[in-house]
Amino acid sequence: MTQIYDYLVVGAGPAGMAAAIEASHAGLKVLVLDQAAAAGGQIFRNVGHSCAAQEQVLGPDYGLGKPLLQAFMAAPCDYRPLAQVWNIEPHAQGFTVAALIDGLSINFVASDLLIANGAMERPMAVSGWEKPGVMTAGAGQILLKASALVPKQVVLAGSGPLLLLLAHQYRAAGVTITALLDTTPRSNYWRAIPWLIAGLSMPKQLLKGVWLSLVQRIRVPYFTNVADIKIVGHIGAEAVRFTAAGKDYEVPTQLVLLHQGIVAQTQMAQTLACELSWNPVKQCWQIQTTGAGQTSVPGVQVAGDAGAIGGAQLAQLEGRLAAMARIERTGTRSSWAKKMLYQALALRICQLHWARGLVDRLYQPAPWLSTPTGTTLVCRCEQVSAAQITDIAQSGCAGVNQLKAFSRAGMGPCQGRQCGLNLGYLVAQAQGRPMAQVQPLSVRPPLSPINLGQLAQSSDL
Amino acid sequence: MTASAFSRLHQHQTSKPDTCRILLNGIEHQVPVAMSVAAALLYLGQHVTRTHPVSRQPRAGLCHMGVCFECLVTINGQQNQRGCMRPVSSNMSIITTPQGLS
Repeated sequence: MTQIYDYLVVGAGPAGMAAAIEASHAGLKVLVLDQAAAAGGQIFRNVGHSCAAQEQVLGPDYGLGKPLLQAFMAAPCDYRPLAQVWNIEPHAQGFTVAALIDGLSINFVASDLLIANGAMERPMAVSGWEKPGVMTAGAGQILLKASALVPKQVVLAGSGPLLLLLAHQYRAAGVTITALLDTTPRSNYWRAIPWLIAGLSMPKQLLKGVWLSLVQRIRVPYFTNVADIKIVGHIGAEAVRFTAAGKDYEVPTQLVLLHQGIVAQTQMAQTLACELSWNPVKQCWQIQTTGAGQTSVPGVQVAGDAGAIGGAQLAQLEGRLAAMARIERTGTRSSWAKKMLYQALALRICQLHWARGLVDRLYQPAPWLSTPTGTTLVCRCEQVSAAQITDIAQSGCAGVNQLKAFSRAGMGPCQGRQCGLNLGYLVAQAQGRPMAQVQPLSVRPPLSPINLGQLAQSSDL
Repeated sequence: MTASAFSRLHQHQTSKPDTCRILLNGIEHQVPVAMSVAAALLYLGQHVTRTHPVSRQPRAGLCHMGVCFECLVTINGQQNQRGCMRPVSSNMSIITTPQGLS
C-alpha cells in the first residue's frame, strides 16, 4: 500500500523548511525532499556544522538560519536529504514525485506539492567562461560555507549584492582580490533612483548595501562600467581582459568568479505545465502565482526564490504562508488569531517584494551580457557559439525550441539551464521581438540524469 | 595537478576534524570529510574535472550547486556523477579521465 503524503515539499531552504514546520505541526503528513546532504538551501548551507571562523567571515545574517534549521529538524515531518527529484507527474491521488536516493529511484505520492527548490545564478556568458578557473560567485561562497575553502587570489566580475558581499567576506578571510569588475550599467543608477523610496522602507538593509558597495570601492581595485570581459589562458584562466571608461585593461589571475544576480529555477513547475510569464524587471521567467504561491495547476504551490526572487527572509515568509493556505484547505476551521496572522504575513510579503524593487532595477543585467557575440560559447554543453545562434535566429527559426533542434544548444547534460536565457535574448534581438513573446525552452523529464538500470529498478515507497 | 588555487580558511576548526582516504585517478590522498567531491578536487589542486566530449577542451565545475554539469566525474565506477552533489567518503574512487560520453 502506497503511503500518501498530504504535502510534499521539494527543497529544504528557508521556504521549504518554514513550510514544513508550519504544515507538520498542524498535523499534515509532510515529506521534504532535498538534493543537498544537509538542510539550509544555498543561503544557509552547512549552517548546522559551521565553525566560528566561518561564521565570523560570513557575518551575522548567515547565523539567522540556525534557529530555523533547529525548528525544522525538530518538526514532525519526514525529511530525505540527498534526494534528487527527476520527475513529477499527475497521479490519481495527486502527484507522483520520483527521486533518486542513494542510487535508487523511489516514487513518492502526495496530494499537494510545494515547489521550493530556489534559484540559480544568472548565467554570465563572457568569452572564455568555459575555462577551468572560472566559476560563479555563488560557487565561491558555497566552497566557503560548506568546505571552508577560500581562494588565495581572485578577480570578481559582474554585478549584484552577492558579488559585493562575497568581496567583503573574502577580504575578512584574507583573500587577495586583484580586481573587482563592476558591470552595472550607469543607466541603472538613474533608473533605480525613483525606487530609493522603496529601499528606504528597509533602512537597515539599504544602509548595509550602500556601505558594502562603498567599502569595496575603497578597499579593492574597483573598476566601474566594465564591458567586453574576456578570460584568456591556455588551459585554465590566466588573465582577464576588459574595458572600463574607454580604456583597455589586462589583469593576470588564475581564478575569476562571475555573478549577475539570480534567476528562478522553473524546470520542476514546467514539467507540471504550470504557467510561466516573463518578468521584465527581474529579467527572468517566473511561475505565475495567485495568493499564497498558488500556481495555475491545482495542488501545486511555489514559494521562495523558485517563484519570485526575493531572498531568504521573504522565502521563509512565503513558505509559511503557502503552508497556512494548504492547512486551510484541509477543512479545519482556523482561529481568529491565525486568520489575522495570515493577513499580516501576506501584507508583509507584498511590502518586502515592493522594497526589493530597488535592487531589481539597480542590478538588472547589462544588455551586452545578455546578447553575447562571436565565438563566445552560449551553450557550454554542446559547444554552440553566440554567432551560430544568431545566424540561425536571423534565418527565421520560430523560437528557442526550434533553435535547439537546429543547433543542439540546450540538449546537453545541463538541459538548457546555462544557455536557455541567452538563447531567448539572442532570438529576441535577431528577430526584433520582445522577450515575453519568445517562449522559454521546453522541459522534459528526467530533470536530472538517471540511468536505465536505476529506472528499471524504481520502486514505490 | 598543480598547486591548489584554494586553501582552508585560516583557523578553521570543524566539529568533524577527520580526514578520509580517497583515490583520485588511482593515487591516494587524504581530504577533509564533509567536503563535496568537487571541492576536494579543488583542495587537491585538480583544477580540471572533465574533457569536453566534442571539443576535447578541459572543463571544471562552474556552479558547485548541481546546475552546470561541468564537474562530471566517475565515482566508484559510476560515470557522469556531479562531483558537487556528492560528499567524499572513505575509500571513494574518483576518476576525472573521461570514460563515457560526457
